[in-house]
Amino acid sequence: MAASQMEKALSSEDFAKYPFLKHASKQIANLDFTISNLSSEKTVFDRALNRVTCAINEMHTGKMANDKKTEISSFAAALILVIATKNSWIKKRYALAVAKTAHAQMLNEKIDTLTAIAKDFDWDICAGSPYKDFRIGFTFYLRNAAHMHGIEWKLVNQIMDRGMVYLNKDKVIRLLQEEVKARVEKRLDIPEIKNLPEEINLIANDLVRLAQEQIGEETDNLPKVVVQAAFPPCINALYADAAASHHLSHIGRFTLTAFLVNIGMTPEALNELFKTFSDYNERLTRYQIEHIAGERGSGTRYTCPQCSVLQTHSVCKNRDELCRRIYHPLKYYVLKQKSLKSA
Amino acid sequence: MEASREFVYKKFAEYYRDPSTEIPAPLHTEQREFGYLMFKERFMVRHRSFSSISNLRAVLAETVPSDVYHSCAYYENPDFDMDKKGWVGSDLVFDIDADHIPTSCNKIHDEFKCVKCGFSGRGITPEACPCCEGTKFETKIWACDLCIQSAREETGKLLDMLENDFGFSTDDLHVFFSGHRGYHVHLEAESVRSLDAMARKEIVDYVTGLGLAVLDKEADEKRRKRKGAKHFILHDFGWNRRLKVAMEKFLLNASKEDLKAVGIRNRALIENKDAIIKRAINEGRWESINGVSVQTWLKLAEYVREQQASKIDTVVTTDVHRLIRMNGTLHGKTGLMKVEFPAKSLADFDPFSGAVAFKKGEVKVFVSDAPEFRLGDEALGPYKNQTVVLPTAAAVMLICKRRAEVAP
Repeated sequence: MAASQMEKALSSEDFAKYPFLKHASKQIANLDFTISNLSSEKTVFDRALNRVTCAINEMHTGKMANDKKTEISSFAAALILVIATKNSWIKKRYALAVAKTAHAQMLNEKIDTLTAIAKDFDWDICAGSPYKDFRIGFTFYLRNAAHMHGIEWKLVNQIMDRGMVYLNKDKVIRLLQEEVKARVEKRLDIPEIKNLPEEINLIANDLVRLAQEQIGEETDNLPKVVVQAAFPPCINALYADAAASHHLSHIGRFTLTAFLVNIGMTPEALNELFKTFSDYNERLTRYQIEHIAGERGSGTRYTCPQCSVLQTHSVCKNRDELCRRIYHPLKYYVLKQKSLKSA
Repeated sequence: MEASREFVYKKFAEYYRDPSTEIPAPLHTEQREFGYLMFKERFMVRHRSFSSISNLRAVLAETVPSDVYHSCAYYENPDFDMDKKGWVGSDLVFDIDADHIPTSCNKIHDEFKCVKCGFSGRGITPEACPCCEGTKFETKIWACDLCIQSAREETGKLLDMLENDFGFSTDDLHVFFSGHRGYHVHLEAESVRSLDAMARKEIVDYVTGLGLAVLDKEADEKRRKRKGAKHFILHDFGWNRRLKVAMEKFLLNASKEDLKAVGIRNRALIENKDAIIKRAINEGRWESINGVSVQTWLKLAEYVREQQASKIDTVVTTDVHRLIRMNGTLHGKTGLMKVEFPAKSLADFDPFSGAVAFKKGEVKVFVSDAPEFRLGDEALGPYKNQTVVLPTAAAVMLICKRRAEVAP
């Protein structure tokens, strides 16, 4: 199939299903919709609230309204509600819920609609015959797949030829889900909207309370004291190397320090520990620890790299049974510690 | 020694002050961070920015650094602190250095000396001193033709993947000799600039063949549990093709000993070589071959994966803030230039003549120890505790490598 045959113009029905598309936003501009009349537009407002509530509770955006206009406007209204919460967990959760809902809907779409959606994200995409449904430029693939877990997503395992990655429909839809999430997150990345009607602020507060109940159920807490027996093998290897005064690579040292900071070792305790290592340099060590702990520079607290990154740089060592089930050394620590406790 | 450093400094100064010296401007100079190592103070100046290459040249001529770098990244404010620079993108950069590659010379020309107990030796620097277990060493490293040849082969494999698999044109590929014992490949294409560290990590894994599903032990176990699932399949693209081509080539030339080295001890592969290659590699019927199990194919594939992987420095490519040596500037450990050449000339480009900066004059030096080496067409060395008159470039190199001093 030639590329031109694959394309189709998206309809208002498509925009109601996928209101995050660029063209759908343009339609909203024509829908006579303003922030100040938001709460008086009852159908739109109810659907918007329904979107966010469902996202928080059930990770989807609820049942579609019958009227396409309401469906499109309520998407924009929901974004305003979410921004009004000023809550990063809700923002992330909402973006993910929109993306997952879109994913479920895209599974029923034909090749031409999917192509049109992908083009809305500026993808370099065309028919992938004779090998697969599609082929897409490798940078568009990586932008979305690089953060996915599982060897089936690794670039090295794709059919790639002259810069194009050949993919079937299911994988393209999964990658589009990532695009949707990123786009919605970007649209929510606004610290606040000034002069919102008081009613909206009150509802936003309710949404935050709802979210807090949900968060309470999900967090798995790190143990309060350091449990060395629960260290993953990579960290044990780094720890042993450092203790035996072997040289650690920059990334090895960063991994060890960031891991220990994140499981709750204080910078002072870490400094004491590193003192026992042979190539200890007080000024440098203190600087690195404080930097990682977010007490310097940008104030960002760093987490240690995930397993796949440690594999790339040959820091991953002695993988065991539990390693197969996790993607991050900290997750290993949490699970191992739990199993030690129950044993 | 002071006089020798002074001599090298003077030569570097002449280079940077000569208006005919070519220092090409990197793409979007004004968006790059620059850094340079001060010759005498051994201090790294960072976070500098220049609106044009002529402004940078003026600073180089005045300060005469031993090494000059620029960021692979483009920033809104290149001279601000790291977290306030405003990253807008980064070139995709690969570094191949003989340091990271096993070479056939075994680095026998390198020397190391334990800082703690003084134990010294030749070859690859050990992780810990065999005498006192110390981990700090003073090293004197060298680049021989074999080192360069190994780095060149790794670069060749990389360029092949970038062209055929990733689809870059030779115009996109900027290939450089690094000035010491390796090569750099820079890609400035718009499409790669916004790739984040994770996307770059995937490119690294591709280039090194890490995570290939066909070789994945855990996936293999899962496959075996599924009844009737094929254990070993290779298609005709990218790495799968590479494995097939390399396996065929290896088998065609393999002796019994070669197979033993791979951990394969069956005669079938040698005796029925042609038929097996045809049936398995060419026709894709890998299973049910007498005497050749899936495990054998896996061993073979793993062996050729190692051969086909390009041994790049993984950290350089994934770091989106990396500083990299600037094209047209001198390497402080050799006095050679970092220099660009066309990708298609990789096999022909001779760094030991193409990267020579100091082409005129001779200098009398006392050489403590130098192996046999070559600069341009001239074969030089070996020297041991002797005074010799050398071409300027050779004298600068030996002094930079702390193997010679200017003779009085």
